[in-house]
Amino acid sequence: MFQFLVDVLMRACDLMLVAIGMSAVYSLMKFPNIALVQYAATGGILAIVLQKIGAPVAVAIVFAVVLTGLVAVILNEFLFNRMLKIGSSTAMIGSLAVSLVFSAAFLVTVGPNPSRFRLPVSKPIRILDARITEPQLVSFAIVAVALGVFALLYFRTDLGRCMRATSTNEVLADATGINTARMKTIIVLISGVMAALGGVAIALKGEVDIQIGMDLLLPVFASAILGGLGNPFGAVAGALLISLVETVVTTINFGPLMGQVVVFLPVAYASAISFLLLVAALLWRPRGLFVSEVKRV
Amino acid sequence: MKSILLSGVFVLGLSVAAYAQEAVIGAVLPLSGSSATQGDDQRRGMELALEKINADGGVLGHPLKIITEDSGGRTATALDAAKKLVTVDKIPVVLGEFSSGITIPIAQYLLQQDRVHINIGSSSTQIRSLGKGAFSVIGLDDVSGAFAAQDVFSGGAKNVAVIAPNNAYGQGIANAFAAKFKSLGGAITSTVLYTEGQTTYRRELQQLAAGEPDLYVYTAYGKESATINRESFELGLNDKKWYGLYLTMCTADSDPQYVEGQIGMDLNYIGGNGGDYQKAYEAKYKGGFTSTFNGFAYDGVMLVAAAINKAKSLDPQKIEDAIAEIGKSYEGATGPILLDADGQRSTQPYLRLKIESGKAVATQ
Amino acid sequence: MSDFIIHVTIMSGLYALLALSLNLQAGLGGLMNFGQIALFACGTYGAAIAFHFDFGAVSGFVLAVLAAALLGWAFASVGRNLQADYWGIVTLALAEVIRIIATNEDWLTGGAQGIGGIPPLYAGLDGQTRQLVILATVLLLVLAAGLFCRHLIGGRYGLSIKIMREEPQLAASLGYDTIALKRQLMAVSSVLAAVSGFLFAHYVSFVGPEQIDSSETFLIWAMIVVGGLGNNAGAIVGAFLLQFTFAFIPFVKDWIGLPSEYVAAGRLLLTGGGLIAFILFRQSGIVPERVGGRRYV
Repeated sequence: MFQFLVDVLMRACDLMLVAIGMSAVYSLMKFPNIALVQYAATGGILAIVLQKIGAPVAVAIVFAVVLTGLVAVILNEFLFNRMLKIGSSTAMIGSLAVSLVFSAAFLVTVGPNPSRFRLPVSKPIRILDARITEPQLVSFAIVAVALGVFALLYFRTDLGRCMRATSTNEVLADATGINTARMKTIIVLISGVMAALGGVAIALKGEVDIQIGMDLLLPVFASAILGGLGNPFGAVAGALLISLVETVVTTINFGPLMGQVVVFLPVAYASAISFLLLVAALLWRPRGLFVSEVKRV
Repeated sequence: MKSILLSGVFVLGLSVAAYAQEAVIGAVLPLSGSSATQGDDQRRGMELALEKINADGGVLGHPLKIITEDSGGRTATALDAAKKLVTVDKIPVVLGEFSSGITIPIAQYLLQQDRVHINIGSSSTQIRSLGKGAFSVIGLDDVSGAFAAQDVFSGGAKNVAVIAPNNAYGQGIANAFAAKFKSLGGAITSTVLYTEGQTTYRRELQQLAAGEPDLYVYTAYGKESATINRESFELGLNDKKWYGLYLTMCTADSDPQYVEGQIGMDLNYIGGNGGDYQKAYEAKYKGGFTSTFNGFAYDGVMLVAAAINKAKSLDPQKIEDAIAEIGKSYEGATGPILLDADGQRSTQPYLRLKIESGKAVATQ
Repeated sequence: MSDFIIHVTIMSGLYALLALSLNLQAGLGGLMNFGQIALFACGTYGAAIAFHFDFGAVSGFVLAVLAAALLGWAFASVGRNLQADYWGIVTLALAEVIRIIATNEDWLTGGAQGIGGIPPLYAGLDGQTRQLVILATVLLLVLAAGLFCRHLIGGRYGLSIKIMREEPQLAASLGYDTIALKRQLMAVSSVLAAVSGFLFAHYVSFVGPEQIDSSETFLIWAMIVVGGLGNNAGAIVGAFLLQFTFAFIPFVKDWIGLPSEYVAAGRLLLTGGGLIAFILFRQSGIVPERVGGRRYV
């Protein structure tokens, strides 16, 4: 049972930080930035590459995360801001195009084979009935700390207040003297950093290949949309819900019902069922589960 | 665009002009993707065959040439590659691929185009029913699955769980194994077919463990088995014995610490007169075989070269007849290759292996 | 060589049908469909399943068209309350669900290894003639589809769709049933995609789940954006341009002597880079959308 909880949390940690980043960007820029999943891949892959060329793990992670944040800001300045002037749908297709270019760059630079951090083999630790390895615990800790810092920033600082004000009503925020352009740059930086940390957290737990970004795309979107795009903490709830459904679906033993010892749904259906959950939830609440905003027609 | 087109025409012009003089055959191999390790090893076997053939005077008086295309481990890419080989390079024979799920569609395409296909790395039983013009120099899974089931059963395990990739190969060998194992009186607690190309298989492994088997039987391509072996270690599933079907394929890319003590079966990839081949391989690539598959690629090329020389023609139909004729008794580097009426290798010796101190050693 | 050019032209024609279909949805109707490949899948699997169960090619065609029209109608129905970007993600998710089902239901779809040996079109003819006849068929179909789309866009129906796209409230106030319009548009354009899929299956003679990966949808998007969103000739030009460029990347690779990873990377780079370049520098594409009808209004 405890193993079940660990599995849910582990999956949620994969999705959470990227989904928060996506939601936070949406709250200000009003378009879902698909390239965020590639920032996650960049963070993870860059950290592994840096470790390979000799940097200690911690240094490699910090460098990778900061660099990815900067890449996010630069891309935003030069591409997404310009695309947004044309329209939010255009910006979304543009972010998809940027993701494809990222994939091409990964393919040429690191190649298609999966890679991982070079860490010593560690025997799993037993906590209650669950087995957890040390890198998995570190990965949990990274996600928890990132989440905590983001919450403090969002709810307790002037920066956070300004962010929330800008996201609720940009024109009004502008009129009260908030520098919305600077706000946007800061939130883009934060979202890039969060996504990169999410990628690092995944990389710590096992192999990462260059597909990881595109593999994250739908589950992360599903989490962010379930929580309501623009509501970063809704994305956390969304990620937990998606992970719960995915894990439940693959751990229910249908064997007794069918007169056999063990019969499971193929694991591949886990994601299919979470996507169907997304569609069902949107049919019921078209703007996500945790959004109270009135729909403007 | 225009210059690209022109350069394409130029390159093609060269290869078409060359066709009239020398024998060119094609190969589709997974040089990238999850089976890249095996694909590269297949390419090594082919290179050695090419060197030997051309040192001995080539084919029809000219050096033999092989055009190798990458499948990327994807059916669509492999089909495009086969199409290029047939329509642009006009080759009569194509060797490849590695995964059965890719070998079968390209073979079907080649047979439709009246070309000869040589299977050098896939073992799905579906390959038997491809039809005339398709040959295998490697034993298929109805034989190997039964061998493994007998081996596991006589090792004392009665309840086993099976994990295999969800493709033609995985389904075929899992079924062949299960059928024989049940007929011996054993039980399969669960069979998990996993989707290839994932970065984690934790969920699959947890499903597998739920049936509490005495032993796990697994088979996986290199990159994926690395993940499976690591995660089964992390989840503590290696408390029980692990039995690898084609063990060296399963352990090629894994960290030795995760696979220490695993047992399994594999192809006996060196026959009575394969010693020279093994020496040539070790000299050229500075080390032992990276997989068991290079020998079959070597034998495939040697067989085709012999057939072209015998047929004295590059006509696919004549080459096909020559292969069938030679296949009545052919001694390859991987042992005797006797092709049955379906063009499939009818006898295939296997090895029992165990991983000791990071190396696969033969046991009896 | 001419065989190869014919092959590439046939493939371009099949993609042109898909691009025309997506152009109707996205260019004319403003519907951000990221699940286009699922409509194509209805075509390929319609043909493959009919072959697998010996129903005959005609019933395969009927199956393909019905399934696609139904799916298109369902896409539109799911999206009736959703914002464009939410709907984009939902269609992407649904297409992925369909791919997962195709990968896992062996009894119906052949599972991961697909269904092979589908009989070629015009099986009675010999190789060379057959290719030419297929080529003629595909080109005629593209021409017919192009004329049909022109008729649709130029007529009253196209006008009402454009009003719906630009001013949904106005369209509703004028008495247009916007949801019914979307459903019709999706169903009609889906048929084009199904025809393309059906021909593809019989031409390639193999149908498998990796052919319906989401990246194919992104490729079709690149075709219509490069060609000029909203313009039929543009969609066709975009499809031919990208297909021909892709087909010759392997030769460039041989010529310069690059490793084979560069072929895949080159495709991604061209798709993504082309999209970005056209969005930023030539938003109207190679052939811009003509504002207002010419013949009818």
